[in-house]
Amino acid sequence: MKVDGGRRRTLAALGAFAGAPWIARYAHAQDLGAYQSAKINWRQAEGESITVAVIPAGYFDALEKVTPEFEALTGVRVRYDKVPPGQIRQKAILDLTAKSGTYATHAADPMYYDLYVSNKWIDPIENYLGDAKLTDAAWYKADDIIPAWRGANSVGNRLYGVPFDGESTLQIYRKDLYDAKGLKPADTLDDVAKNAKAIHDPNNRVWGAALRGFKGAGQNMYIYPSIFRGFGGNWFSGGALRVNSQEGVAALEWYVNLLSQYAPPAVRNWNWPDLADAFSQSTLGLYIDANTSASVLNNPERSKVLGKIGYARWPRGPSGKRVSSIWNWGFPINAALSEKAKRATWLFISWATSAETQARTSWKASGAAKRLGLNRLSLWQSKEFAALAGNLGTNFLPASIESMRDDLDVEWRPKMPQWPAVGETMATAIQAALVGQQKPKEALDEAQGRIAQILKG
Amino acid sequence: MRERRFALALFLPAFVLLVATTTLPLIYLLWSSSQRIDLTMPWMSGTAGLENYAKLGGDTRFWQSLKLTLIYTGTTVVLQVLIGLGLALLVLQVRAGQAILRIGAILPIVLAPVVAGLFWRSLVLAPDFGILDFVTRALGLGSYNWLGDPQLALVSVIAIHTWQWTPFAFLVLLASLAALPPDLYEAARLDRAGPWQRFRHITLPLIRPAIVIVVILRMVTALSAFAAIFAATGGGPGSATEILNLYAYRLSFTELNIGYGAAVAAVLLLITLSVAFFLFALRRAR
Repeated sequence: MKVDGGRRRTLAALGAFAGAPWIARYAHAQDLGAYQSAKINWRQAEGESITVAVIPAGYFDALEKVTPEFEALTGVRVRYDKVPPGQIRQKAILDLTAKSGTYATHAADPMYYDLYVSNKWIDPIENYLGDAKLTDAAWYKADDIIPAWRGANSVGNRLYGVPFDGESTLQIYRKDLYDAKGLKPADTLDDVAKNAKAIHDPNNRVWGAALRGFKGAGQNMYIYPSIFRGFGGNWFSGGALRVNSQEGVAALEWYVNLLSQYAPPAVRNWNWPDLADAFSQSTLGLYIDANTSASVLNNPERSKVLGKIGYARWPRGPSGKRVSSIWNWGFPINAALSEKAKRATWLFISWATSAETQARTSWKASGAAKRLGLNRLSLWQSKEFAALAGNLGTNFLPASIESMRDDLDVEWRPKMPQWPAVGETMATAIQAALVGQQKPKEALDEAQGRIAQILKG
Repeated sequence: MRERRFALALFLPAFVLLVATTTLPLIYLLWSSSQRIDLTMPWMSGTAGLENYAKLGGDTRFWQSLKLTLIYTGTTVVLQVLIGLGLALLVLQVRAGQAILRIGAILPIVLAPVVAGLFWRSLVLAPDFGILDFVTRALGLGSYNWLGDPQLALVSVIAIHTWQWTPFAFLVLLASLAALPPDLYEAARLDRAGPWQRFRHITLPLIRPAIVIVVILRMVTALSAFAAIFAATGGGPGSATEILNLYAYRLSFTELNIGYGAAVAAVLLLITLSVAFFLFALRRAR
């Protein structure tokens, strides 16, 4: 004990002597050069202070950690308010309806932009992107940001929120179990069931496959739309939302069958952390979820499957399409702010979403947690990122890049202002089918009736 | 005169606070329920009159949650009174250690309902890992998905509420049982009344006021239950445990249809008020 304490004191003294001045220089002097090469005046909103609502998550922690650099660069003070993901939409809406301008920007769900825009709560981003005083287009390279993510955050072709962090969904499977049975990762939805059947061995606590089953627009209604689109479903027919089409019923039947045949019984209440836990504990052969789960699955303290993980793109549906989720956390600009605060907010957003900050919160970040969900494909394809992501499992990087380039589909979920009610209704219907309370067709018919009622007002 | 002014000065701050925190929000709720306020369709906003209430008639999910509310309230209240009374009669016979029993009984009550819900969800009812599942598997009854199956989930949330609030009924009934005059029982015994007769004709009539009070208070709590169910099932699976309170919350804060959600909440308020009035009237009648 004594030796330990002594050593710690020595280290601390060394740190104070050598480390601190170096860190200070790192943050303030030479290191802002990468930003200062942009031909804009970063200090035009000096003295302003803004509050940003984010969720408690590693990727936002990484951003918070480098925020002193932004404050040094611009003279704008940033305060983060961490709101759990289940409440951030409600808190943001509360602030936006009250027009109190509490949150200059917040981590926004792409499905909420239609609602925000129809209430005129947020500003179009093009006002800021197109203004040469605010954005150096050649430096910022907005087009480099993953196009489908920008599409998801657009309403009527106008961008309303800049993607900061996101994911695509991949098959995450146990390479060792697949290899032992001579299986290849599924190419089609049928293959998923076949592979699951081959691996399924619940008596030895290995289940063939699992998917998010918990009720919620971001849980079961995060998985179902990919299946629905893979089955060739279209959300709108003749301009009206239609959820009980043939394809819709077939997709839900597939979902119900897979989970009832090959998943642990509790899966109907599982969200992604539960799935990641079950997979880490070596009880799942396959699950399909966010590629960014890879960092959780590779946590040496909790994972029993290190070195046994493989990744593959979403399986094709009967229509031949692979459709990944299109999730990203974007930053919109609150329309209730003063002009100067809006400028400060834009400087913050463009700083946070720039290639440089993305890198500084990823492979350049100090400490163990380096974020994966970068917003630009050029970064995903960089050597430095490959070095970071290379050891997360077989085929992680190629599968991620291909899925973000080819499998993202802006029509993944029905974009409309009524999404909060529609998403909730669908989530309830899907769960009713998953637990066997209703047949898939019954559940979707009832959802359709309710949606008709909702849209009527 | 001065004394009255002094009394008023003492009373006014509390009164103003009460009006500001309870009456005004209630009035605002009723006003909202007469408006078309749907944040997802701002272009439809306007006065609705009784439109929101008329819509309830054709809303199957409303009727379903009303039915669940009645089942939930009815069963939890009956269970609490029966179990609470049984425990109280039992504990009355215990001579030593009553204080410890009473303290033990208070423990579930002091838990926040949301904690009770989470505790049951993750430690007791979780399949494969939960205590209850461990017991049923050890007894050879098999593993059940307590919160994932629609019927079992309703039973489970009823069990959680009963577990948390039975001690309240137990404590109130124990106190009133302990205060019963022993000479009555002696007289009854001299008349050779059996235990059941003594219970039926002496104990029950004497503790009737206490039972009615327990029923009223427990009913009002059960009707307004929210946190434990929200934490344990979120109203699911599907809408199998979505009582009115949760439905109103979901409408207002998830679906953002504030006007309609307010109407559902107003109906719940009306039900709670009429139940309380009815029971109080019943209590006064005899």
